[in-house]
Formats: sequence, structure tokens, C-alpha cells
Amino acid sequence: MNVREVLTKPVHIAPLVTFRIIFGAVMFASVCRFVLKGWVYDLYIKPTFYFTYYGFDWVKPLGNGMYVLFALMGLAAFCIMIGFLYRYASITFFLAFSYVELIDKTNYLNHYYFISIISFLLIFLPAANYFSVDTLLKPEKTTSKIPLGILGILMAQIGLVYFFAGLAKLNYDWLFRAMPLRIWLPADYDFPLIGTFFDQVWVAYFFSWISAFYDLAIPFLLLNKKTVKPAYGILLIFHAMTYALFNIGMFPFIMMGLTLLFFPESFHIGILSKLQHLFHFRTTPKKIYPDSLYAPRKFLLVLVGIHFFIQILLPLRYILYPGNLFWTEQGYRFSWRVMLMEKGGTNFFHVQDPATGNICEVVPGRYLSPFQAKMMSTQPDMILQFAHYIDKEYRLKGIKDPIVTVESYVTLNGSGSRPFIDPKVDLSKQKESFLPKLWLLPFQE
Amino acid sequence: MRQTKFLILCLLPLLLFSCKKKEEKKEQPDFDRKAMLTNIGNNIILPAYSDFSQKSGDLHAKVQDFNKNPGTASLTAVQLAFKNAFLSWEPVAVFGFGPAEQEALRVSLDVYPTDTAQINKNIADGSTNLDGAQNIDAKGFPAVDYLLFGVASDNAGILAKFTTDAQATNRKAYLEAIAAQISTKASAVSNAWASYLNTFVNASGTDVGSSVGILVNQLNYSFEMIKNNKIGIPLGKQTLGNPLPEKTEAYYSGISAQLAVKHEESILNIFLGGSGLGFDDYLTHLKANYNGGSLADAIHTQLSLVKEKLVAIPDPLSVAIVNNMAVVNTAYTELQKTVVLLKSDLSSALGVLITYQDNDGD
Repeated sequence: MNVREVLTKPVHIAPLVTFRIIFGAVMFASVCRFVLKGWVYDLYIKPTFYFTYYGFDWVKPLGNGMYVLFALMGLAAFCIMIGFLYRYASITFFLAFSYVELIDKTNYLNHYYFISIISFLLIFLPAANYFSVDTLLKPEKTTSKIPLGILGILMAQIGLVYFFAGLAKLNYDWLFRAMPLRIWLPADYDFPLIGTFFDQVWVAYFFSWISAFYDLAIPFLLLNKKTVKPAYGILLIFHAMTYALFNIGMFPFIMMGLTLLFFPESFHIGILSKLQHLFHFRTTPKKIYPDSLYAPRKFLLVLVGIHFFIQILLPLRYILYPGNLFWTEQGYRFSWRVMLMEKGGTNFFHVQDPATGNICEVVPGRYLSPFQAKMMSTQPDMILQFAHYIDKEYRLKGIKDPIVTVESYVTLNGSGSRPFIDPKVDLSKQKESFLPKLWLLPFQE
Repeated sequence: MRQTKFLILCLLPLLLFSCKKKEEKKEQPDFDRKAMLTNIGNNIILPAYSDFSQKSGDLHAKVQDFNKNPGTASLTAVQLAFKNAFLSWEPVAVFGFGPAEQEALRVSLDVYPTDTAQINKNIADGSTNLDGAQNIDAKGFPAVDYLLFGVASDNAGILAKFTTDAQATNRKAYLEAIAAQISTKASAVSNAWASYLNTFVNASGTDVGSSVGILVNQLNYSFEMIKNNKIGIPLGKQTLGNPLPEKTEAYYSGISAQLAVKHEESILNIFLGGSGLGFDDYLTHLKANYNGGSLADAIHTQLSLVKEKLVAIPDPLSVAIVNNMAVVNTAYTELQKTVVLLKSDLSSALGVLITYQDNDGD
């Protein structure tokens, strides 16, 4: 069989449908959790300054309207789950979710980015063409078969996340210094059963190597029919451990739920029939629409092609930048670099009035939330944004052309604090761009 | 059936995600956070609160004596009791969580500079009500500092304000109200710690809200308070180099530098765990390095150096920032270096989640 035949091979739609249901359910739970924890207020209403993404300065928080946006997002997630007005729901969810994420890079998480991508892809997939409120209302829209390639899109996206996460682990610190696990694991010495061993260096090495191997291998093990079940078992253990050890929120559960996609279609048909039974869902009259095959449009092929082209290049863009990636973080985001380094920073911002030469120290805590200040302390682009903000503030206070400098120290993977940014450079004159930041000092090993 | 099992298996964690990690009791080979917390709790926090509570009680008693028999001797006695009580506050000021947070201790006792206009208005009105946002900087130690040292230029003048002055009675009542509040709050927090100690010691995990995380957070916060509020702001570091003497912590009694030293010593003491298990032992156990040496030693040396530089500042600080600027500046530089060690290196080495609290501001 050639690639084309494999991709167009008709398979049952059930795996895509359970994927939609699980995604909708987990997103609904996540949105509720986010609101109940009070994070809407803490992260999107309370701060006075937000670290927007380059080119997305127009994305602004909506004040108390943020609650409306989250309500809309939750509603959309629920509609995705039940497959009601699916196309509108998936578009709404994608837009609302991505808008929130774009407000402040303080809150950037790889798994939020992952959710944005999945919800984007779901817009174009026929995930509600079966066992949904939509098909209940319009049975003629039902399709029971899809080309395998449709599932392949989601599988490729999930596989890509693991694989790039694994590739990112193939660096000197991770493999040959067992960093940062060597710092993180001993802290969890009270972990049930195996915690007593966390103090020992070989355990950190063992976890480093095994997790790199796991990330690289899991996509292939999931794809193989013979290994999918044991692979999923390992995946459950792996994600359960990361959940217990590190503070990474919903991510483990999202991955546990979505990777069920790799299970054989009989598994998914089984789940759907159980659900149908549970909810007394009247099955689609098979007589009228027997094995209707969904035919994707050409447009989807082009879109998917462009999408994966970008997806493969984005994580590799760091190659274009000079210096240590972990130090400069140029090309770090949107690359599936998960839990890769331990970084801590301290900044002292100074404003000088060029007219008098007098210097004033600016304490970031006065303008930023503690969390924002912490996230900024190690990320150069955020430091620059804050310097520009100070520049604006002091212009308003009547100082002409203030000189904004920062004395910045960062420790990376237990290196000890090192000077991070050239303290002589006037950051108010530096422009934000994708070009290398020449005012960063090189990492002193 | 298999499918259902798998589904349950994958959905079960979803239902459990709100459940907290269980604390597992087990024997420890080398280092035990619980032992460190027990040491810090029993041998540092409890004695510090008990000392603070006792000296605050003494201040209140001396204020009552003074109010009954206002004279040179009773004034000197109450002034001394005030200095002792204020100095005993600094070691506990670091523990701004748990009972102290519930009693809003820091906000009730140590907001400075004090609002003398509001204090005088309250006295003129005959009001002893210390609640309300307008009174937030009209009470606590800085207010007593003003009443006992700042209402006139010398003790004879101060005494007159409490005897012959038209508002002497109201002034006495206001002073009494503040001293009573300090004493009440001090003993309330001190007593609450007896039972809170258990909570403190048992939160020995690494998650948000763990005692180690809170302590590190408080050490950082406290240290930045020394750098910014106690020294930096009066020195003019945030006002383009214009010194602001009246923004010192004890402007009228002139013991601001001593207070800063006390506060810093307390942080050093917590770091060392007194003579028992402390953060230094924890870092040594973790083999945390700093430029080839140990991080524990680096922090210990730096904290000792800062103490030396703070001790070198002559009181009153409000004068030193103008006349001995170089000495204060040296201390400030060392304070800044220490902030880096505590904020970046210490926090990063422990692998413990730290949530930064909001600043009280000034």
C-alpha cells in the first residue's frame, strides 16, 4: 500500500468522536477549575501591566468582561463535548482560548499552546458528524466513516509534541548533569515508596534518560497496534508521576485522555455504545445512511500541509540565534520544551534623568504581580518590555528621555547567579524584534 | 467491559485532581525538612514571639504607669520599654504568615512613616478608635515613636504635652489605646502559635503553601523590606537620590539602624537554624554550589557581611543618610548582593514552589 492508500483508507469515525467528547469534557473542567481558583481575577483583571506577545499588542484584557469570555469558553467546550453547533463552538473555543493566552506571556505554558492547536485543528475535522446533538437534529449529516488521514492529523500533532519534547531533552545538562531533575527530585524525598531514593544522583540520571527515551519512543509505540496498550500503560504511569511530583496542573490529564485516540476503533465503538446506552441516545438510523464516508475537501489538505510545515520549523528556529538557548531563551517558546531547566533571577531596574544625572531604582513589585515579576526575572523579552513600560511611566512623570538600565542576575540549572544583561545598555532605546538581543551577556559556565 | 475499565482508568484521575497529595511519614536518611521546621518553630519562632509578647506587655504596663504618674522618671521608663518592644518586634516581623497574617500584625504595628496629622486629629477629636483605613498609619510602633519622642524637641517638652497641654488627657488615652492594641495583638499571635506550630511543622511538603516555601518567601520579602523600605527609600534610592529622612522606621526615637540590624540578624538566625537544623544544612545536604564553593557558605558569609555593614551605620539613620552617606551606601550595595543570593540562588536550589506575596507598599 502506498501512502495515499493508507491515508484514504476508510475507518470508523468513532475514535475522532471520543476524542471530541474527551477534549470538550476536559476543557470544560479546565475552564471551571480556572475560574473557581480565582485565576481570572489574579491573572487577567488585577494586574495593571501585561506582557503582550510581539505583534499582538492589540490583545488587551477585558476587565470584568474576562468572566464573560471564560463563560463563553466554557460553554463552547461543553458544546464541543455534546456536539451541538459544533463548527461554531469549536471556532468560538479556539478564538476565546487563544485570545486569553495572548494577553500575557507570563502565563505561557506549552500545554495551553497545545490546546490552542488542537482546538484549531478540530474546527476543520468532522468530529461531530456522529453521536452528537447536531446529528440528532439533522440525521442526514451523519457520517460513520472517515479517511484514516483525518485521525492521522491529530495523531501526528500529538506525536510531534512528544517527539520534540524528547529531542529537547537531548542536551548536555539533561543527559550528563541530570539537571534540573537533580535539583527537583530531592525536594520530593517524601514521595510515596520511592521518595527515599530521590536524594541519590543516579536516580536523577535514570529519570532524565528514561524520560528522554520515553518522549522519543512513545509516538511510535502508540502507533503500533501491538504495543499501543502497554505504551498507554506506561504513559499513564509517566503522567501520573509528573502530576504528583511537579506542579503542572491539567496537562497530565489532557494527555491521558487525548492519547486514547491511538486505540483501535473497536475500543472507541465500544465506548460510544456504552455512552449511547447510558444516555438513551437513539442510534442513527443505519438503514438510511449506511456507511456514509466523509470526503475531506482539498482545502484541508493544503491547510494541514502548511500547519505541519510550520510545526516542524518553529521548534528548530533556535538554531538561528547565537548563544545558549536556555540562557537567552530566544526561540524557546512554542517548541515543546517542557520542564527543561531550573532558572532563578533577580533584577534591579534603574532610571536615570539625563538632565541631572540622578538615578532612581524602580522596584518591579510596584507595577507587577509577584508572579509576573518572577516570570520576567529570567526572560529577556519580558525584561525589555518592562523597561519600556518604566520609560513611559517616567516620561509621564516629566523626565525627558529617561535612561533605563537593569542590573540582572540569573542562575541556570544551579550555576550560581551570573550577570544576565549588560547593565550599561539603555533598554529604552532597544527595540523589540525577532533579531538576536545583543545586550544579553553570554552565559559564563 | 475492557473499554469501560480503560475509560474509568483515564477519567478517574480527573475526579481526583483536586485531592491533595498525602503526606507520607517515613524515616529520613540525612536531612528532614520536618526536623528543620521543628527546630525553627520551637527554638526560634516561639521564643521570639514570647519575648515580643512579654516586651509589648511591658510597654503597655509602662504606658499605664506613665499615664497615672507622668514625670521624668516614668517618661524615661516608658521610652526605654518602647525601644525594647520595638526591637523585639523585628525578629518576629519575618514571620508574616499564619497567625500573624490573621491578626494583620505587620499592617497594624509597623506602617511607617506615621501620619502625625491623623494622630493629632484623633487626639483633638478625643477618638481612640484605631480601625479604618485612615488610621492605618496612625497606630503601631511608629505612632508611639512619635508620641513618646516626637511631640516636642526634648523630654521636658514631651512631658508637658502629657501634663499641662490642653489635650494631655486625650493624648494619654490615645497612647494607651495604641499600646494596648500592640500588646493584645502580640499576645494573641504568640498564643496562636502554640497550636499553629503543629500545622507549620506538618506542612513539610514542596507544594504551594508548604512551610519551607512560605519561609523562603518571607525571608525574601523581609530582606527586600530592609533593602527598600528600611534603607533604600530614606536614602533616596527611589527618589532620584533625594534623601527622605522622615521615611525612616523610627524617625523620632532614632533607633532605625538598630531595628534594621535586629531584622537582619533574625534572618541570619533563621538561615542558620540557630544552633540546630537550618537552611544552611538543607543546602549543604543538597550539595548546592556557588562559584566553586558551597552556596550555604556563600549566603552565610554574605549575611554576616551585611550585618557588619548595617552595624557600622550610626543611629539616627535619618542623619546618617545625609552625613554618613558613604557608609549607608556600602550597606545598601551589600544588601542588594544578598537579595540576589536569596531570591535567585536559594529559591532555585531548594526545588520548592514559592508563591510571591503582594507587597504591602509604603
